[in-house]
Amino acid sequence: MSKIIFRLFLSFVLFVTVFILIQRALTPDSFGKYGHYRANSIDENKIRTSYYKGEEACASCHQELYDLVDSDLHAEINCESCHPPKIDAFTDCEVMPPIVEGNNDFCAACHATNPGRLKRGVPQLDFKEHEPDKNCIDCHNPHAPWELTE
Amino acid sequence: MGTNRIEKNRRKFFQTSAALLGGTIVYSLLKPFETLAQPENEDPKIEKGDLPLWGMGVDIESCIGCGKCAEACKIENDVPKEPFYFRTWIEQYTVKNDGEVKIESPNGGIGGLKQSVPDEDIFKSFMVPKLCNQCTEAPCVQACPVGATFISPDGVVLVDETYCIGCSYCIQACPYGARYMNPITQVVDKCTFCYHRISEGLQPACVEVCPTKARIFGDLRDKKSDLVRFLQKNPTQVLKPHLNTHSRVFYNGLSSEVR
Repeated sequence: MSKIIFRLFLSFVLFVTVFILIQRALTPDSFGKYGHYRANSIDENKIRTSYYKGEEACASCHQELYDLVDSDLHAEINCESCHPPKIDAFTDCEVMPPIVEGNNDFCAACHATNPGRLKRGVPQLDFKEHEPDKNCIDCHNPHAPWELTE
Repeated sequence: MGTNRIEKNRRKFFQTSAALLGGTIVYSLLKPFETLAQPENEDPKIEKGDLPLWGMGVDIESCIGCGKCAEACKIENDVPKEPFYFRTWIEQYTVKNDGEVKIESPNGGIGGLKQSVPDEDIFKSFMVPKLCNQCTEAPCVQACPVGATFISPDGVVLVDETYCIGCSYCIQACPYGARYMNPITQVVDKCTFCYHRISEGLQPACVEVCPTKARIFGDLRDKKSDLVRFLQKNPTQVLKPHLNTHSRVFYNGLSSEVR
């Protein structure tokens, strides 16, 4: 074998080896375990705080309110639908209670007339016609809407 | 004398480089056998059939466009509050009497959607909740140059936040517009079916808060799940079926106007 071919062969082998070694060094550990991605990323995606704790967590302190909601038309609705957790104090709702400002716009998000809404099930009303000067919660208890105060 | 010195150095150079080369080759050849030496460290192989296959059903006839899902999603997943970053949002479709279709989604529907077209002009109107469709043949996964987005073994398209280079190719590739560039982390973010919640046995936040149960979440492999019952009871359709993405978000009552 002539010298030049030997050198070419040597540099070729060197190049391939260095390439493989660098590639191995740079590829993350779990890459390619299940497919063309880092398998550890699946577990990393699971690490995140759940801000929404579910109805059981609410009922553990507010059983009375929970039973009241359960007795009326809003029974199907979860606590956190209307009381989204305040994100700054997700560990303890006593630090930052998820109080809702009970204004008409809040109720209108579900109950304002909209041709796109289904007519069955959710009651629709024109907020300009139905007691326009009053706040909804003056008459309706939001936890039991048909328990009228008037 | 001078030539001798050069020859000596050259010989030494070749000797050392040959030793190094041989060493590295031997090392790289032996490395695959390292795992064989400690088989007890290997994780048990996951059979795909044992895992759940997550999917979602969306009942357009039940959706009232209250925006609770979009709001809950933003809170649960730390999505920026600006009105153009959404993991899920609601669109209101209004078909006018002259056939024109108007699509509205102010702030993704948060705070309740309001109809802007006068009643007498409306032919029909409906709400369409949108989210990542969790495609089986995901265009975003094909587009990603580094393998930072992938389909997990239980069928959810996830983003590897530490591996994403932020090139935005996947945002362009997604036919459903379900991805956005997070301005804080500078990587792509998308709906993961609240992967942290579903892997703990909880429901995604949007499903949890929906007051009319317009979103049904479940395991497609579990024949007794709510989702399978929903699919059996209703004629469902996926969005953009002509793209053959085989997505796993199924819509009941999907009108042909929906894009």
